[in-house]
Amino acid sequence: MTDDRLQPDGASSDPDPFGSELVPNDALGGERAEQLAGDDEMVNKTGTTTIGITNEDGVVIATDKRASLGGRFVSNKDVQKVEQIHPTAALTLVGSVGGAQSLIRTLRAETSLYGTRRGDNLSISALATLAGNMMRGGPFFAVNPILGGVDEEGSHVYSIDPAGGVMSDDYTVTGSGMQLAHGTLEGEYDPEMSMDEAVALAARGIQSATERDTGSGNGIFVARITADGVEIEDYDDPAELL
Amino acid sequence: MQGSQQQAYDRGITIFSPDGRLYQVEYAREAVKRGTASVGVRTEDGVVLVADRQTRSPLVEASSVEKLHSVDEHLGIASAGHVADARQLVDLARRRAQMEWLRYDQPLGVEALTKEITDHIQQYTQTGGARPFGVALLVAGVENGEPRLFETDPSGTPYEWSAVAVGGGRDEIQEYLEDNYDDSLSLGDGIGLALEALAVPNDGELDTGGVEISTVDVESETFSTKPPEEVAELVTEHGLAEGGEDE
Repeated sequence: MTDDRLQPDGASSDPDPFGSELVPNDALGGERAEQLAGDDEMVNKTGTTTIGITNEDGVVIATDKRASLGGRFVSNKDVQKVEQIHPTAALTLVGSVGGAQSLIRTLRAETSLYGTRRGDNLSISALATLAGNMMRGGPFFAVNPILGGVDEEGSHVYSIDPAGGVMSDDYTVTGSGMQLAHGTLEGEYDPEMSMDEAVALAARGIQSATERDTGSGNGIFVARITADGVEIEDYDDPAELL
Repeated sequence: MQGSQQQAYDRGITIFSPDGRLYQVEYAREAVKRGTASVGVRTEDGVVLVADRQTRSPLVEASSVEKLHSVDEHLGIASAGHVADARQLVDLARRRAQMEWLRYDQPLGVEALTKEITDHIQQYTQTGGARPFGVALLVAGVENGEPRLFETDPSGTPYEWSAVAVGGGRDEIQEYLEDNYDDSLSLGDGIGLALEALAVPNDGELDTGGVEISTVDVESETFSTKPPEEVAELVTEHGLAEGGEDE
Protein backbone atom coordinates (compact mmCIF):
# COMPACT_ATOMS: atom_id res chain seq x y z
CA MET A 1 0.00 0.00 0.00
CA THR A 2 1.61 3.20 -1.11
CA ASP A 3 1.46 6.26 1.09
CA ASP A 4 0.88 8.61 -1.81
CA ARG A 5 -2.88 8.83 -1.67
CA LEU A 6 -3.06 11.48 -4.33
CA GLN A 7 -2.08 8.96 -6.96
CA PRO A 8 -4.32 6.09 -5.91
CA ASP A 9 -4.85 2.79 -7.66
CA GLY A 10 -8.07 1.98 -9.44
CA ALA A 11 -9.70 0.55 -6.30
CA SER A 12 -9.74 3.89 -4.53
CA SER A 13 -12.63 6.30 -4.85
CA ASP A 14 -10.18 9.09 -5.68
CA PRO A 15 -9.90 9.98 -9.34
CA ASP A 16 -6.38 10.31 -10.73
CA PRO A 17 -5.65 14.07 -10.75
CA PHE A 18 -3.42 13.77 -13.80
CA GLY A 19 -5.58 11.45 -15.85
CA SER A 20 -8.97 11.86 -17.40
CA GLU A 21 -12.04 9.85 -16.61
CA LEU A 22 -12.94 10.57 -20.23
CA VAL A 23 -9.93 8.95 -21.93
CA PRO A 24 -11.32 6.85 -24.78
CA ASN A 25 -10.80 3.09 -24.87
CA ASP A 26 -8.71 3.29 -28.01
CA ALA A 27 -6.28 5.79 -26.49
CA LEU A 28 -2.69 4.75 -27.08
CA GLY A 29 -0.78 3.30 -24.12
CA GLY A 30 2.99 3.70 -23.69
CA GLU A 31 3.95 0.45 -25.44
CA ARG A 32 1.69 1.09 -28.41
CA ALA A 33 3.03 4.63 -28.72
CA GLU A 34 6.63 3.32 -28.78
CA GLN A 35 5.73 0.78 -31.43
CA LEU A 36 4.16 3.54 -33.54
CA ALA A 37 7.18 5.79 -33.08
CA GLY A 38 9.13 3.10 -34.93
CA ASP A 39 6.70 3.42 -37.87
CA ASP A 40 7.49 7.09 -38.10
CA GLU A 41 7.13 7.30 -41.87
CA MET A 42 3.59 5.93 -41.68
CA VAL A 43 2.22 8.38 -39.09
CA ASN A 44 0.50 11.49 -40.38
CA LYS A 45 2.23 14.57 -39.00
CA THR A 46 1.13 18.10 -39.36
CA GLY A 47 4.67 19.40 -39.99
CA THR A 48 3.05 22.74 -39.50
CA THR A 49 3.36 26.31 -38.49
CA THR A 50 0.87 27.41 -35.81
CA ILE A 51 0.85 30.90 -34.35
CA GLY A 52 -1.00 32.39 -31.38
CA ILE A 53 -1.04 36.15 -30.69
CA THR A 54 -2.82 37.94 -27.83
CA ASN A 55 -4.24 41.36 -28.67
CA GLU A 56 -6.52 44.08 -27.32
CA ASP A 57 -9.68 42.34 -28.57
CA GLY A 58 -8.78 38.73 -27.73
CA VAL A 59 -6.55 36.11 -29.32
CA VAL A 60 -5.82 35.13 -32.91
CA ILE A 61 -4.60 31.67 -33.83
CA ALA A 62 -3.37 30.96 -37.36
CA THR A 63 -2.22 27.65 -38.89
CA ASP A 64 -1.24 26.34 -42.30
CA LYS A 65 -3.26 23.49 -43.92
CA ARG A 66 -0.68 20.80 -44.80
CA ALA A 67 -0.31 17.25 -43.41
CA SER A 68 2.70 15.15 -44.34
CA LEU A 69 4.21 11.67 -44.00
CA GLY A 70 7.78 11.71 -42.72
CA GLY A 71 7.94 15.38 -43.66
CA ARG A 72 8.57 14.40 -47.32
CA PHE A 73 5.17 13.65 -48.80
CA VAL A 74 2.12 15.91 -48.60
CA SER A 75 -0.63 13.53 -47.45
CA ASN A 76 -3.37 16.18 -47.16
CA LYS A 77 -3.69 19.73 -48.48
CA ASP A 78 -6.79 20.86 -46.56
CA VAL A 79 -6.34 20.10 -42.86
CA GLN A 80 -8.03 22.23 -40.20
CA LYS A 81 -5.31 22.49 -37.58
CA VAL A 82 -7.11 24.77 -35.12
CA GLU A 83 -10.16 23.47 -33.26
CA GLN A 84 -12.48 25.00 -30.68
CA ILE A 85 -12.24 23.09 -27.37
CA HIS A 86 -13.99 25.53 -25.00
CA PRO A 87 -16.60 28.32 -25.42
CA THR A 88 -13.74 30.86 -25.59
CA ALA A 89 -10.61 28.81 -26.39
CA ALA A 90 -9.03 26.86 -29.23
CA LEU A 91 -6.13 24.41 -29.58
CA THR A 92 -3.82 23.76 -32.55
CA LEU A 93 -2.87 20.35 -33.95
CA VAL A 94 0.93 20.05 -34.09
CA GLY A 95 2.81 16.77 -34.42
CA SER A 96 0.99 13.43 -34.66
CA VAL A 97 -2.48 13.98 -36.13
CA GLY A 98 -3.96 11.07 -34.17
CA GLY A 99 -2.47 12.24 -30.87
CA ALA A 100 -3.71 15.79 -31.44
CA GLN A 101 -7.23 14.74 -32.49
CA SER A 102 -7.58 12.49 -29.45
CA LEU A 103 -6.32 15.26 -27.14
CA ILE A 104 -8.83 17.72 -28.63
CA ARG A 105 -11.78 15.31 -28.20
CA THR A 106 -10.78 14.65 -24.58
CA LEU A 107 -10.28 18.33 -23.68
CA ARG A 108 -13.65 19.20 -25.26
CA ALA A 109 -15.36 16.56 -23.13
CA GLU A 110 -13.50 17.64 -19.97
CA THR A 111 -14.45 21.29 -20.57
CA SER A 112 -18.09 20.43 -21.14
CA LEU A 113 -18.28 18.23 -18.04
CA TYR A 114 -16.59 20.85 -15.84
CA GLY A 115 -18.96 23.55 -17.10
CA THR A 116 -22.05 21.41 -16.54
CA ARG A 117 -20.97 20.25 -13.07
CA ARG A 118 -19.81 23.61 -11.75
CA GLY A 119 -22.02 26.01 -13.69
CA ASP A 120 -18.94 27.99 -14.69
CA ASN A 121 -16.39 27.41 -17.45
CA LEU A 122 -12.78 26.36 -16.86
CA SER A 123 -10.42 29.33 -16.81
CA ILE A 124 -7.80 29.30 -19.58
CA SER A 125 -4.97 28.77 -17.08
CA ALA A 126 -6.82 25.77 -15.59
CA LEU A 127 -7.39 24.41 -19.11
CA ALA A 128 -3.65 24.80 -19.85
CA THR A 129 -2.73 22.99 -16.62
CA LEU A 130 -5.16 20.18 -17.44
CA ALA A 131 -3.77 19.84 -20.97
CA GLY A 132 -0.21 19.79 -19.61
CA ASN A 133 -1.13 17.04 -17.12
CA MET A 134 -2.65 14.97 -19.92
CA MET A 135 0.41 15.37 -22.12
CA ARG A 136 2.66 14.31 -19.26
CA GLY A 137 0.72 11.45 -17.72
CA GLY A 138 -1.91 10.55 -20.27
CA PRO A 139 -2.01 8.49 -23.44
CA PHE A 140 -1.41 11.38 -25.83
CA PHE A 141 1.98 11.53 -27.48
CA ALA A 142 4.16 13.54 -29.83
CA VAL A 143 2.10 16.73 -29.97
CA ASN A 144 3.17 20.34 -29.38
CA PRO A 145 0.03 22.48 -29.51
CA ILE A 146 -0.76 26.13 -28.83
CA LEU A 147 -3.70 26.92 -26.56
CA GLY A 148 -5.30 30.34 -26.99
CA GLY A 149 -8.29 31.67 -25.10
CA VAL A 150 -10.10 34.52 -23.41
CA ASP A 151 -11.52 34.55 -19.86
CA GLU A 152 -12.26 37.00 -17.04
CA GLU A 153 -8.52 37.60 -16.61
CA GLY A 154 -8.05 38.59 -20.28
CA SER A 155 -6.35 37.10 -23.35
CA HIS A 156 -3.97 34.14 -23.01
CA VAL A 157 -1.66 32.13 -25.25
CA TYR A 158 0.14 29.00 -24.00
CA SER A 159 2.55 26.66 -25.74
CA ILE A 160 2.36 23.09 -24.49
CA ASP A 161 5.27 20.75 -25.17
CA PRO A 162 5.22 16.94 -25.61
CA ALA A 163 6.56 16.36 -22.07
CA GLY A 164 3.77 18.45 -20.50
CA GLY A 165 5.61 21.75 -20.19
CA VAL A 166 3.14 24.67 -20.15
CA MET A 167 4.38 28.19 -20.89
CA SER A 168 2.34 31.39 -21.08
CA ASP A 169 3.35 34.13 -23.52
CA ASP A 170 2.06 37.21 -25.36
CA TYR A 171 2.62 35.42 -28.67
CA THR A 172 4.11 32.06 -29.59
CA VAL A 173 4.75 29.70 -32.51
CA THR A 174 5.06 25.90 -32.68
CA GLY A 175 5.69 23.39 -35.50
CA SER A 176 8.36 22.78 -38.11
CA GLY A 177 8.12 26.35 -39.42
CA MET A 178 8.52 27.98 -36.01
CA GLN A 179 11.90 29.66 -36.62
CA LEU A 180 10.68 31.24 -39.86
CA ALA A 181 7.45 32.55 -38.34
CA HIS A 182 9.21 33.77 -35.19
CA GLY A 183 11.56 35.77 -37.39
CA THR A 184 8.57 37.55 -38.88
CA LEU A 185 6.83 38.17 -35.55
CA GLU A 186 9.92 39.28 -33.62
CA GLY A 187 9.95 43.05 -33.24
CA GLU A 188 6.59 43.42 -34.95
CA TYR A 189 4.39 42.38 -32.01
CA ASP A 190 2.77 45.20 -30.07
CA PRO A 191 0.58 44.51 -27.02
CA GLU A 192 -1.82 47.25 -28.14
CA MET A 193 -2.58 45.59 -31.49
CA SER A 194 -6.20 45.22 -32.54
CA MET A 195 -7.57 41.83 -33.63
CA ASP A 196 -7.29 42.80 -37.32
CA GLU A 197 -3.66 43.92 -36.94
CA ALA A 198 -2.82 40.68 -35.11
CA VAL A 199 -4.55 38.61 -37.82
CA ALA A 200 -2.42 40.35 -40.49
CA LEU A 201 0.78 39.73 -38.49
CA ALA A 202 -0.11 36.05 -38.00
CA ALA A 203 -0.83 35.73 -41.75
CA ARG A 204 2.62 37.17 -42.53
CA GLY A 205 4.16 34.58 -40.20
CA ILE A 206 2.33 31.71 -41.92
CA GLN A 207 3.31 33.16 -45.30
CA SER A 208 7.04 33.21 -44.38
CA ALA A 209 6.91 29.61 -43.19
CA THR A 210 4.96 28.51 -46.26
CA GLU A 211 7.67 29.93 -48.52
CA ARG A 212 10.60 28.05 -46.94
CA ASP A 213 9.35 25.16 -44.69
CA THR A 214 8.50 21.93 -46.57
CA GLY A 215 6.16 20.86 -43.76
CA SER A 216 3.94 23.97 -44.02
CA GLY A 217 1.71 25.31 -46.77
CA ASN A 218 -1.49 24.98 -48.80
CA GLY A 219 -3.26 28.00 -47.29
CA ILE A 220 -4.25 29.28 -43.85
CA PHE A 221 -6.84 28.76 -41.13
CA VAL A 222 -7.55 31.66 -38.77
CA ALA A 223 -9.38 31.47 -35.42
CA ARG A 224 -10.52 34.77 -33.91
CA ILE A 225 -11.21 34.28 -30.18
CA THR A 226 -13.02 36.93 -28.13
CA ALA A 227 -15.11 36.89 -24.94
CA ASP A 228 -18.09 36.18 -27.23
CA GLY A 229 -16.69 32.97 -28.72
CA VAL A 230 -14.50 31.41 -31.39
CA GLU A 231 -14.80 32.08 -35.14
CA ILE A 232 -12.77 29.90 -37.50
CA GLU A 233 -12.29 30.67 -41.23
CA ASP A 234 -9.91 29.41 -43.93
CA TYR A 235 -8.26 31.02 -46.97
CA ASP A 236 -6.32 29.58 -49.92
CA ASP A 237 -3.51 32.12 -49.51
CA PRO A 238 -2.26 34.03 -46.44
CA ALA A 239 -1.90 37.07 -48.74
CA GLU A 240 -5.70 37.45 -48.66
CA LEU A 241 -5.36 38.64 -45.05
CA LEU A 242 -2.60 41.21 -45.59
CA MET B 1 -45.33 -9.29 14.50
CA GLN B 2 -45.50 -5.55 13.93
CA GLY B 3 -42.14 -5.21 15.69
CA SER B 4 -40.33 -7.78 13.54
CA GLN B 5 -41.77 -6.21 10.37
CA GLN B 6 -40.45 -2.82 11.42
CA GLN B 7 -37.03 -4.29 12.17
CA ALA B 8 -36.78 -5.78 8.70
CA TYR B 9 -36.81 -2.31 7.15
CA ASP B 10 -34.10 -0.88 9.33
CA ARG B 11 -31.73 -3.83 9.09
CA GLY B 12 -30.50 -3.08 5.62
CA ILE B 13 -29.45 0.40 4.59
CA THR B 14 -30.54 -0.20 1.00
CA ILE B 15 -34.13 -1.11 1.89
CA PHE B 16 -36.96 1.42 1.73
CA SER B 17 -39.77 1.06 4.25
CA PRO B 18 -43.26 0.72 2.70
CA ASP B 19 -43.85 4.42 3.36
CA GLY B 20 -40.69 5.34 1.47
CA ARG B 21 -38.26 6.01 4.30
CA LEU B 22 -34.66 4.93 4.79
CA TYR B 23 -34.56 4.21 8.51
CA GLN B 24 -30.76 3.95 8.71
CA VAL B 25 -30.40 7.43 7.26
CA GLU B 26 -32.91 8.77 9.76
CA TYR B 27 -31.08 7.05 12.60
CA ALA B 28 -27.85 8.67 11.36
CA ARG B 29 -29.58 12.06 11.69
CA GLU B 30 -30.34 11.15 15.31
CA ALA B 31 -26.62 10.42 15.80
CA VAL B 32 -25.90 13.98 14.64
CA LYS B 33 -28.34 15.37 17.23
CA ARG B 34 -26.49 13.49 19.98
CA GLY B 35 -23.35 15.48 19.21
CA THR B 36 -22.65 18.96 20.55
CA ALA B 37 -23.59 21.84 18.24
CA SER B 38 -21.61 23.73 15.63
CA VAL B 39 -22.79 27.06 14.20
CA GLY B 40 -21.90 28.83 10.97
CA VAL B 41 -22.64 32.49 10.15
CA ARG B 42 -21.93 34.11 6.76
CA THR B 43 -21.19 37.84 6.77
CA GLU B 44 -20.10 40.28 4.06
CA ASP B 45 -16.50 40.09 5.34
CA GLY B 46 -16.26 36.32 5.70
CA VAL B 47 -17.66 33.19 7.30
CA VAL B 48 -17.59 32.34 11.01
CA LEU B 49 -17.61 28.77 12.38
CA VAL B 50 -17.99 28.12 16.10
CA ALA B 51 -18.21 24.77 17.85
CA ASP B 52 -19.09 23.56 21.32
CA ARG B 53 -16.51 20.98 22.37
CA GLN B 54 -17.60 20.23 25.90
CA THR B 55 -15.47 17.46 27.34
CA ARG B 56 -16.82 14.69 29.54
CA SER B 57 -13.97 15.06 32.05
CA PRO B 58 -11.76 17.97 33.12
CA LEU B 59 -8.81 15.62 32.65
CA VAL B 60 -9.29 15.40 28.86
CA GLU B 61 -6.98 17.72 26.93
CA ALA B 62 -9.45 20.10 25.27
CA SER B 63 -7.16 20.54 22.26
CA SER B 64 -7.55 16.82 21.42
CA VAL B 65 -11.29 17.30 20.78
CA GLU B 66 -11.28 18.74 17.27
CA LYS B 67 -14.49 19.98 15.70
CA LEU B 68 -13.14 22.71 13.41
CA HIS B 69 -10.82 21.55 10.67
CA SER B 70 -8.68 23.40 8.16
CA VAL B 71 -9.12 21.89 4.68
CA ASP B 72 -7.03 24.21 2.51
CA GLU B 73 -5.82 27.80 2.81
CA HIS B 74 -9.30 29.16 1.99
CA LEU B 75 -11.56 26.34 3.23
CA GLY B 76 -12.65 25.01 6.62
CA ILE B 77 -15.13 22.49 8.02
CA ALA B 78 -17.07 22.29 11.31
CA SER B 79 -18.63 18.99 12.34
CA ALA B 80 -21.35 17.66 14.63
CA GLY B 81 -21.97 13.99 15.38
CA HIS B 82 -19.48 11.13 15.17
CA VAL B 83 -15.99 12.65 15.33
CA ALA B 84 -14.41 9.58 13.71
CA ASP B 85 -16.81 9.77 10.76
CA ALA B 86 -16.12 13.49 10.43
CA ARG B 87 -12.39 12.83 10.22
CA GLN B 88 -12.88 10.56 7.22
CA LEU B 89 -14.88 13.22 5.38
CA VAL B 90 -12.42 15.96 6.34
CA ASP B 91 -9.58 13.88 4.91
CA LEU B 92 -11.57 13.37 1.69
CA ALA B 93 -12.09 17.14 1.56
CA ARG B 94 -8.37 17.82 2.04
CA ARG B 95 -7.45 15.38 -0.74
CA ARG B 96 -10.00 16.87 -3.14
CA ALA B 97 -8.73 20.37 -2.39
CA GLN B 98 -5.17 19.30 -3.25
CA MET B 99 -6.43 17.41 -6.31
CA GLU B 100 -7.85 20.70 -7.63
CA TRP B 101 -4.38 22.28 -7.37
CA LEU B 102 -2.76 19.30 -9.11
CA ARG B 103 -5.34 19.03 -11.85
CA TYR B 104 -6.16 22.69 -12.60
CA ASP B 105 -3.68 24.72 -10.49
CA GLN B 106 -6.55 26.60 -8.87
CA PRO B 107 -8.29 26.73 -5.46
CA LEU B 108 -11.29 24.41 -5.08
CA GLY B 109 -14.64 26.22 -4.84
CA VAL B 110 -16.77 25.86 -1.70
CA GLU B 111 -19.80 24.59 -3.65
CA ALA B 112 -17.72 22.11 -5.65
CA LEU B 113 -16.09 20.80 -2.44
CA THR B 114 -19.46 20.43 -0.72
CA LYS B 115 -20.82 18.43 -3.66
CA GLU B 116 -17.73 16.19 -3.70
CA ILE B 117 -18.40 15.44 -0.01
CA THR B 118 -22.17 14.93 -0.37
CA ASP B 119 -21.71 12.67 -3.41
CA HIS B 120 -19.43 10.53 -1.22
CA ILE B 121 -21.92 10.53 1.67
CA GLN B 122 -24.75 9.56 -0.71
CA GLN B 123 -22.89 6.41 -1.80
CA TYR B 124 -23.23 5.17 1.78
CA THR B 125 -27.02 5.41 1.61
CA GLN B 126 -27.18 3.10 -1.40
CA THR B 127 -24.44 0.55 -0.80
CA GLY B 128 -25.14 -2.75 0.94
CA GLY B 129 -22.98 -3.72 3.92
CA ALA B 130 -22.06 -0.13 4.80
CA ARG B 131 -23.64 2.33 7.23
CA PRO B 132 -24.28 6.01 6.55
CA PHE B 133 -22.03 8.75 7.96
CA GLY B 134 -23.34 9.78 11.41
CA VAL B 135 -22.17 13.33 10.99
CA ALA B 136 -23.29 16.71 9.63
CA LEU B 137 -20.71 19.21 8.37
CA LEU B 138 -20.61 22.95 7.84
CA VAL B 139 -18.34 23.78 4.90
CA ALA B 140 -17.07 27.38 4.88
CA GLY B 141 -14.81 29.26 2.52
CA VAL B 142 -14.23 32.05 0.06
CA GLU B 143 -14.85 31.50 -3.66
CA ASN B 144 -14.10 34.22 -6.25
CA GLY B 145 -14.06 36.77 -3.42
CA GLU B 146 -17.49 35.69 -2.14
CA PRO B 147 -18.04 34.08 1.29
CA ARG B 148 -19.99 30.79 1.06
CA LEU B 149 -21.45 28.51 3.76
CA PHE B 150 -22.85 25.02 3.11
CA GLU B 151 -24.28 22.18 5.19
CA THR B 152 -24.05 18.43 4.48
CA ASP B 153 -26.36 15.88 6.15
CA PRO B 154 -26.26 12.05 6.41
CA SER B 155 -28.48 11.62 3.33
CA GLY B 156 -25.86 13.40 1.20
CA THR B 157 -27.92 16.48 0.38
CA PRO B 158 -26.08 19.83 0.15
CA TYR B 159 -27.70 23.06 1.41
CA GLU B 160 -26.38 26.62 1.28
CA TRP B 161 -27.12 28.93 4.23
CA SER B 162 -26.71 32.48 5.51
CA ALA B 163 -26.54 31.10 9.05
CA VAL B 164 -27.06 27.54 10.27
CA ALA B 165 -26.60 25.18 13.20
CA VAL B 166 -26.00 21.42 13.26
CA GLY B 167 -25.95 19.00 16.20
CA GLY B 168 -27.67 19.00 19.59
CA GLY B 169 -30.09 21.89 20.25
CA ARG B 170 -30.20 22.70 16.53
CA ASP B 171 -33.84 23.79 16.53
CA GLU B 172 -33.41 26.32 19.36
CA ILE B 173 -30.16 27.67 17.91
CA GLN B 174 -31.62 27.96 14.41
CA GLU B 175 -34.61 29.87 15.77
CA TYR B 176 -32.24 32.32 17.48
CA LEU B 177 -30.27 32.76 14.25
CA GLU B 178 -33.47 33.35 12.26
CA ASP B 179 -34.58 36.04 14.71
CA ASN B 180 -31.22 37.82 14.90
CA TYR B 181 -29.42 37.34 11.56
CA ASP B 182 -28.84 40.39 9.41
CA ASP B 183 -26.96 40.25 6.12
CA SER B 184 -25.02 43.46 6.83
CA LEU B 185 -23.16 41.97 9.83
CA SER B 186 -19.41 42.51 10.07
CA LEU B 187 -17.16 39.51 10.72
CA GLY B 188 -16.85 40.57 14.38
CA ASP B 189 -20.67 40.83 14.67
CA GLY B 190 -20.88 37.38 13.06
CA ILE B 191 -18.63 35.89 15.76
CA GLY B 192 -20.86 37.49 18.41
CA LEU B 193 -24.07 36.16 16.83
CA ALA B 194 -22.60 32.67 16.42
CA LEU B 195 -21.46 32.57 20.08
CA GLU B 196 -24.81 33.87 21.36
CA ALA B 197 -26.63 31.27 19.28
CA LEU B 198 -24.34 28.47 20.49
CA ALA B 199 -25.08 29.51 24.10
CA VAL B 200 -28.89 29.39 23.68
CA PRO B 201 -29.42 25.74 24.72
CA ASN B 202 -27.18 26.34 27.78
CA ASP B 203 -29.17 29.32 29.18
CA GLY B 204 -26.98 31.84 27.40
CA GLU B 205 -23.72 30.68 28.94
CA LEU B 206 -20.58 29.09 27.51
CA ASP B 207 -17.58 27.39 29.10
CA THR B 208 -14.71 29.58 27.85
CA GLY B 209 -12.47 26.52 27.48
CA GLY B 210 -15.11 24.51 25.63
CA VAL B 211 -15.57 26.66 22.55
CA GLU B 212 -13.71 26.77 19.24
CA ILE B 213 -13.86 29.74 16.84
CA SER B 214 -12.59 29.87 13.24
CA THR B 215 -13.09 32.37 10.44
CA VAL B 216 -12.45 32.54 6.70
CA ASP B 217 -12.23 36.22 5.85
CA VAL B 218 -12.81 37.59 2.38
CA GLU B 219 -9.84 39.94 2.33
CA SER B 220 -7.08 37.43 3.11
CA GLU B 221 -9.08 34.42 1.80
CA THR B 222 -7.57 32.51 4.72
CA PHE B 223 -9.07 30.06 7.20
CA SER B 224 -7.79 30.70 10.73
CA THR B 225 -8.62 29.34 14.17
CA LYS B 226 -8.52 31.64 17.20
CA PRO B 227 -6.09 30.70 19.99
CA PRO B 228 -7.77 29.68 23.33
CA GLU B 229 -6.91 32.98 25.05
CA GLU B 230 -8.62 34.99 22.33
CA VAL B 231 -11.65 32.64 22.43
CA ALA B 232 -11.95 33.22 26.20
CA GLU B 233 -11.73 37.00 25.65
CA LEU B 234 -14.42 36.94 22.94
CA VAL B 235 -16.79 34.79 25.03
CA THR B 236 -16.32 37.10 28.03
CA GLU B 237 -16.64 40.24 25.88
CA HIS B 238 -20.06 39.07 24.69
CA GLY B 239 -21.18 38.42 28.28
CA LEU B 240 -21.53 34.70 27.73
CA ALA B 241 -18.84 33.37 30.12
CA GLU B 242 -20.18 30.90 32.66
CA GLY B 243 -20.68 32.55 36.04
CA GLY B 244 -19.70 35.86 34.45
CA GLU B 245 -22.68 37.73 35.89
CA ASP B 246 -21.74 36.85 39.46
CA GLU B 247 -18.28 38.38 39.23
